Amino acid sequence: MILVNGIRKRFGAAVALDGMTFEVRPGQVTGFVGPNGAGKSTTMRVILGLDRPDAGQALVEGKPYRELADPMRHLGSLLDAGALQPSRTARNHLLWLAHSQGLGARRVDEVLEQTGLGGVARRRAGGFSLGMRQRLGIAAALLGDPPALMLDEPFNGMDPEGIIWMRGFLRSLAGQGRAVLVSSHLMGELQGTADHVIVVGRGRVIADASVAELLNSASSGRITVRTESPEAPGILAAAGATAAPTGDGGLSITGLPAERIAEVLHRHGVTFSELAAHRATLEDAYLELTRDAVEFRAEGPR
Amino acid sequence: MSILRAEWTKFWTVRGWVLGTVAVAGLIMVFGLAPGMSGSCGKHGPASECKPLIGPAGVEVKDGFTFVHQPLSGDGSVTVRVASLTGEIFAGPGASRPGLAPWAKAGLMVKSGTTPGSTYAAIMVTGSHGVRMQWDFTHDKAGPSGSGPQWLRLSRAGQTVTAAASPDGSAWTEVGSTQLTGLPVTAEVGLFVTSPQYSTEFHEGLLNGSQGGPSLATGTFEQLTAEQGWSGTAWHTDWIGGKPDWSETPETEQEGSAFRVAGSGDVGPTGAGVSATQTLVGTFTALIAAVVLGAVFMSTEYRRGLIRMTLAAGPRRLHVLAAKAAVVGGVTFVCGVVAAAVVVVFGQRVLRANGVALLHTTTLTEVRLMVGTGALLAFSAVLALGLGALLRRSVTAVTVAIVTIVLPYLLAVTVLPVEAARGLLRFTPAAAFALQQAVKQYPQVDDLYAPAVGYFPLSPWAGLAVLAGWTVLVLGAAAVLLRRRDV
Amino acid sequence: MSVDMAELSKVTVTSRPAPGTTMGRALRAEWTKLRTSPGTLGLLLAVVAGTTGLSATVAAACSGGTCGADVALTGVQLGQAVVAILAVLAIGNEYSTGMFTVTLTAMPRRLPVLVGKAVVVAAMVAAAAAVAVAGSVVAGEILLPAYHATFRPAAGSVLYLVLIALLSLGIATAVRSPAAAIGTVLTVLYAVPIIVSVVTDPVWHDRFEKYSPVSAGLAVQATGPDPLIGPWKGLGVLALWTLAALLAGAILLKRRDA
Repeated sequence: MILVNGIRKRFGAAVALDGMTFEVRPGQVTGFVGPNGAGKSTTMRVILGLDRPDAGQALVEGKPYRELADPMRHLGSLLDAGALQPSRTARNHLLWLAHSQGLGARRVDEVLEQTGLGGVARRRAGGFSLGMRQRLGIAAALLGDPPALMLDEPFNGMDPEGIIWMRGFLRSLAGQGRAVLVSSHLMGELQGTADHVIVVGRGRVIADASVAELLNSASSGRITVRTESPEAPGILAAAGATAAPTGDGGLSITGLPAERIAEVLHRHGVTFSELAAHRATLEDAYLELTRDAVEFRAEGPR
Repeated sequence: MSILRAEWTKFWTVRGWVLGTVAVAGLIMVFGLAPGMSGSCGKHGPASECKPLIGPAGVEVKDGFTFVHQPLSGDGSVTVRVASLTGEIFAGPGASRPGLAPWAKAGLMVKSGTTPGSTYAAIMVTGSHGVRMQWDFTHDKAGPSGSGPQWLRLSRAGQTVTAAASPDGSAWTEVGSTQLTGLPVTAEVGLFVTSPQYSTEFHEGLLNGSQGGPSLATGTFEQLTAEQGWSGTAWHTDWIGGKPDWSETPETEQEGSAFRVAGSGDVGPTGAGVSATQTLVGTFTALIAAVVLGAVFMSTEYRRGLIRMTLAAGPRRLHVLAAKAAVVGGVTFVCGVVAAAVVVVFGQRVLRANGVALLHTTTLTEVRLMVGTGALLAFSAVLALGLGALLRRSVTAVTVAIVTIVLPYLLAVTVLPVEAARGLLRFTPAAAFALQQAVKQYPQVDDLYAPAVGYFPLSPWAGLAVLAGWTVLVLGAAAVLLRRRDV
Repeated sequence: MSVDMAELSKVTVTSRPAPGTTMGRALRAEWTKLRTSPGTLGLLLAVVAGTTGLSATVAAACSGGTCGADVALTGVQLGQAVVAILAVLAIGNEYSTGMFTVTLTAMPRRLPVLVGKAVVVAAMVAAAAAVAVAGSVVAGEILLPAYHATFRPAAGSVLYLVLIALLSLGIATAVRSPAAAIGTVLTVLYAVPIIVSVVTDPVWHDRFEKYSPVSAGLAVQATGPDPLIGPWKGLGVLALWTLAALLAGAILLKRRDA
């Protein structure tokens, strides 16, 4: 759906994109994550033909965005929810966009209802809260009923209710078979929403994997056991696990699944008060992945 | 004070605004130093050198008239009856039509010598300005008005010359008296007649202008008598400043104490001309740059909500407005003064080197031109700042400021008739261009003292007061709104 | 705000648009945009009021008979400033709010966007200018004894205002900052003619009068006997300046990152 291939872009002496390459597939929400300044927005601007890359190309349904007729029917996007003329009403803002795609006012009213803006359609967009502007931006992205959507930091400025709405909304869009690319600088925002994550740093892709893979690699099967018995480490070692004290009377164990540990300890009559599988969060995985990039940036010469 | 400092930091840290400031000064200098004008003075060998005649007061004067005179020593007085004054006006080569120039002059004069530009005092009948006493070219004093035959008398006592007029030769009214420093014991005394260039306005298309030509006046005098210490009948005629060459000026006719004298020329200050004002033409472009600076410095606050941060840092809104006005006014003032100083000093040299006969400007006036240009730019920028706060939109604020400051001037120098133009330049902010008037306007010289050549209806500081008034009004309205409005 | 997820339609790319409609859609979108901008109507009314008002005022000041017949259309000198605001804001507002990225996302081919804006602005200005000039002509007929309406100066003034609008649009597209753009436009409209008027070197004065945009363009109003440049030729000179400004705007628009 969206293909980004080896994009490089400099702004003066600063390298913004350094060979950015990835693909966004239909039917899933793809998270686009990286620290501030990693090149997420620039990548999206290049995909939309707003910025010209120095090298490489970005294709939407096999074509550069600029060559699409009625592009919003192919890719709906939201870059900056504040980018509108404050004196125009929400409905009129969508109306000119609809006209640019050969669509009529009926479609405008449809997307206003979908995004819950039906009641404020005739109010000046300048008076909207940031959350309402995000909804208006989403409405604009949906106008052309596109098979692909691309949203830059859509959670910004939303209240908890809005965030829950947004997550459900993105899931349902993906559920309809659309490709959804959502950028964020907070991995946590994407937990429970994204199926696939592209982690970027310093203009390059650091990781491109499904959420399940990422979590597995970060958790690597660590289990904590709390027990009074001094024989426990020996028994577990004999069963093939590696056990290390955690310092607060617990043991951190790797190499055996939780059920096996419980069975082994039970068989040897060792009592334990707690047995917990450690599950990594996406945030942990993200921090682990970007640590190198961040460290390199902090120390390396520019 | 900290708000002022904050606004100053805000100003100089934006590259576009610093560039705009440089543009303000640069535009004045570019246009002021480029020779937009050329003349013929000194361009065709030493003979074409323009040496203006400078009168006792240090300004350019004209001194051309027919003088029927003789040297007389010590104190005494001279009396004559002006029986009639008639004239004719040049109407193309070799042709003329009857007509008396309003400032045609016929009367009595005492003058230190026959050298043009030397000190004098005179009493005269004029074409349509009644009896006048004039001395040393720039001074003019009205006597009895009305036409018809007049008796005139001029008396000398030491350095003091007194003039009097009478309708019948017996009841005399003193018109005035003056001290002429440098009047020698033996001075030239006698009748004089002269008639200046006439000028009329024309309107053609988008251009206004004046056209004119020389004129001739003929005075008939009776009973010329020298008395009270002066005597003598040996009068002879001289053409001071050379004989007029435009037509056959008749020679003087004498019959006893009656004379018929014809003359052409003028005795008085030079009329309108090119002055140091010319070097300040770049002010118009600089003004637009200054207005943009002023408007944007304010309206930028409203874009993207910077104003909220500004007012969080300094919640007293009027102080913020005042600080902004001070910064933008101060910066444009300094730029204007510096740039005007450069062009007034060097621009005049460029013009003179280019052969333009430039009217003399005193040092004090030059300083006023410099300070005035700075003040004009500063007040305009602050006016635009106020409009920016009122309208919250830079584009509208800039346009309103330019349309009220520059458009009246443009209309005044192009389409409008002179009277309407002067009216417009009295009450619109464009009145402040009077600050750039370099040379004085003399009522006793008929000339087109039009705004287009740098003559304004208001005095410099009155003109500034008009602009300042508008600025205060707009800034006041902005202050009220800024206090009341939620941001 | 509840959302009915069921309302989300199925993913179907609706029928491909016929080629050649890009321009038409850009036109329609720009028309909707300018029409729904609340300042537009006010500015168009200001064009009419400013032009007619100034024309009538000057005609009244001239009714003594000291002015040429040209003064009947003097109001154009004020109307052009309002026209410039309208044109500068038509694109400048989008630059300053960042909405231009949205426009280019919807219409990634940039030339049709500029052409669309130009056509819509020109049409709106032409309509307002026609009313404004008609008002000025009526005022002239009533207030100026020597004035008789003639077709060329009136029609030429409407075209003049349209060209000034397009010139402003071109400059604003190139400069991007609306304040800098209006400053540049007003310099062209007001400062340049003043500077031209003080250049007395006859050769240079004639050149400036003939080839500077405003002096040449306003020649279309002239009724005097011997203008420096013919009326339509003068308007042609302004049209060339306008074309140059639009071209500069178009080239920068195509080359630049948005």
